[in-house]
Amino acid sequence: MKAKDIALDGLFRQNPTLKLVLGTCPTLALTTAAMNGVGMGLAVTFVLIFSNAIISLLRNVIPSKVRIPAYILIIATFVTITRMVLNKFLPSISASLGTYLPLIVVNCIIIGRAEAFASKNPVLSSALDGLFMGLGFMFALTLMGIFREILGSGSVFGVKLWDFSIGFFVQPAGALFTYAIFIAVYSLVYSAFLRAANERKNKDGLAVKGARGNA
Amino acid sequence: MGVIVSGAPHFRRNRTTKGIMLDVLIALVPATVAGFVYFGWRAVFTVALSLVASVGTEVIWLLCRKKSLKEIVSQFDFTSCVTGLLLALTMPAFEYKYFYIPILSAVFAVGVAKMFFGGTGKNIVNPAIAGRVFAFISFQSAMVSGWMVPQFASLSGINAVSSATPLTAMLGDGLGAVGVSNLDLFLGTGVMGCIGETCKLALLVGFVYLIVRKVIKWQWPVIYVAVTGLLSCALGKSMGYFLPSILSGGLLLGAIFMATDYVTTPNTKLGNLIYFAALGVLTGIFRAVSGGEVVSYCILLMNVTVPLIDRFIIPRPFGYEKKEKVKKEAR
Repeated sequence: MKAKDIALDGLFRQNPTLKLVLGTCPTLALTTAAMNGVGMGLAVTFVLIFSNAIISLLRNVIPSKVRIPAYILIIATFVTITRMVLNKFLPSISASLGTYLPLIVVNCIIIGRAEAFASKNPVLSSALDGLFMGLGFMFALTLMGIFREILGSGSVFGVKLWDFSIGFFVQPAGALFTYAIFIAVYSLVYSAFLRAANERKNKDGLAVKGARGNA
Repeated sequence: MGVIVSGAPHFRRNRTTKGIMLDVLIALVPATVAGFVYFGWRAVFTVALSLVASVGTEVIWLLCRKKSLKEIVSQFDFTSCVTGLLLALTMPAFEYKYFYIPILSAVFAVGVAKMFFGGTGKNIVNPAIAGRVFAFISFQSAMVSGWMVPQFASLSGINAVSSATPLTAMLGDGLGAVGVSNLDLFLGTGVMGCIGETCKLALLVGFVYLIVRKVIKWQWPVIYVAVTGLLSCALGKSMGYFLPSILSGGLLLGAIFMATDYVTTPNTKLGNLIYFAALGVLTGIFRAVSGGEVVSYCILLMNVTVPLIDRFIIPRPFGYEKKEKVKKEAR
C-alpha cells in the first residue's frame, strides 16, 4: 500500500472515530474539553505506532489461534509505558484522562488495526498506519472537544472566552448529541467528496469503486 | 373517471391534526392567562419568545428542506405552537436577562426532538418535554432558583417559602413545610412555580374542555395522578400527603397536556394502562428520592418505552376469535 493511501485512510476515508465508529467510550467521555482530546489522541497514537510495528514484526511467529491474547500482551506493554511516563512527567493530563488511560489496552481501534492491518502488512506500512490512525483519532477528538468546550463551558483549551454556557454539552447527553452531529457532517462531506471524485473519473471513463450508495 | 382506489381506513371524519392542535391550544388558554395574571409581563415575555422561536425553527427547517413558503403555510398544523406554548408553561417567568433560555430550549425542542426525527407525528419523545429537560440540565441555576413570587398573596395569609416551591419544601421537610393551604395550591395564589403549573383550576378547566371535545380520554390522566398521590401517601405514611402531592408541582400540567400526547403514547388500552400507571409509580418514587420535581423526566423516560410497549401488546384484529385449545388426542 502506498504511504499516501495509508495517510488518507487514517485521517479521512477510514477515520477511526467518524467512519469506523471505534473507541466510542473515550470519545464520549473525554471530549468535555479540547485538551483531553489532544492528550488522549497522543497517548493512543504512541501506543498504536509501536503495537502495530511489533505485531507486524511478529506476524509470522504468532500462532493464529492465540493471536488476540498475544496482541493484548504487546498493547498492554506500551500502555503501561505510556501511563508511567505520563504519571511522572505530565501528572495533570494523566489525572484528567483518569481511568481511560489504562483502558487503552482494550481500545477497539488498537486491536482493530492489529487484526485488520498490522497482521497482514510489512513493518513500515504498519507503523505508518498506526501513526495516521492515531492522528485521525486525535483530530476527531480534539474537534469534538473544542465544540463541546466552547458551548458547554465557554472556553477553548482552558482559556475563558465568555460567561455564557449551555450545560447540556458537557453532560453525557450532549456527548451523544455532539457525536451524532459530527458523524452526520462527516458523512455529508465524505459523500460530496466521493461524488466529485466519481465525476472526475467518469470523464476518463472510469468509475471509482464504492462511490455509489456509499454513505 | 372519479374512482378512488385506496387502502384500509375508508371511514373518515372531519378531525384533522390541525383541529386537534387548535383544541389543545384553546384548552391551554386558561392556564396561560392565569400565568400572565400571577407572574405579569415576565410570563408574557417568556411565552412570546418560546412561541416565536418554536414556529420560527419549524419554518426555517422546512425552508432548508426546500419547501416553498406557500406549501409551509398551507401545511402548517399548529403542533409547533402547542410545543412552544407548553414549553413556556413549564418554565419559570424568567428575568429579562435570561431571554436566551426560552429561545434555545424551543429551538432544541422543535429542531432536535421533532424535525430531526422527521417532523410531526414521527418524534420519539414529546418535543416540549425534551425542551424543558434541555433547559433544566443546561441552565440549572436559572431554572431552579429563578422563581418569582406571584403577584397575589396566599388566601390563608401565610407567607410562601421564599426559596423553594411548595413541592420541594414538602419533599425536603415534610408536610408542615408546604407553607400554603390546599386551597392556595389549587388556585395558585401565593405559590411559586412554573408559569402554567401553579393554577390547578385553570388546568382543570382545560382538562374538561379536552374531554368534552373528545381530544383525550379522562381515565388516563386520572390514573397517573391518582397513582402518584397514593404512592406519596404510602411513602410519607400519611393520607395527608395526597392532596398536596397532586396539587403541587407540575404533575397536573404534565398528566393532562404532556403525557397524553398522541404520538408518544401506546396504541392499545392495556398499553396505555401500563404506560400511565408506570408514569405514576416512577413519579412517586423519583420525587421521594430526588426531592425535586421529576414529572418531565418521568414522561421522557416512559416516552422512550412506548415502542417497546407497542411491540408486545398488539391490538386484536376486528372479528378475531380466540382459538380453542385443541385436545391432545386430536393431533
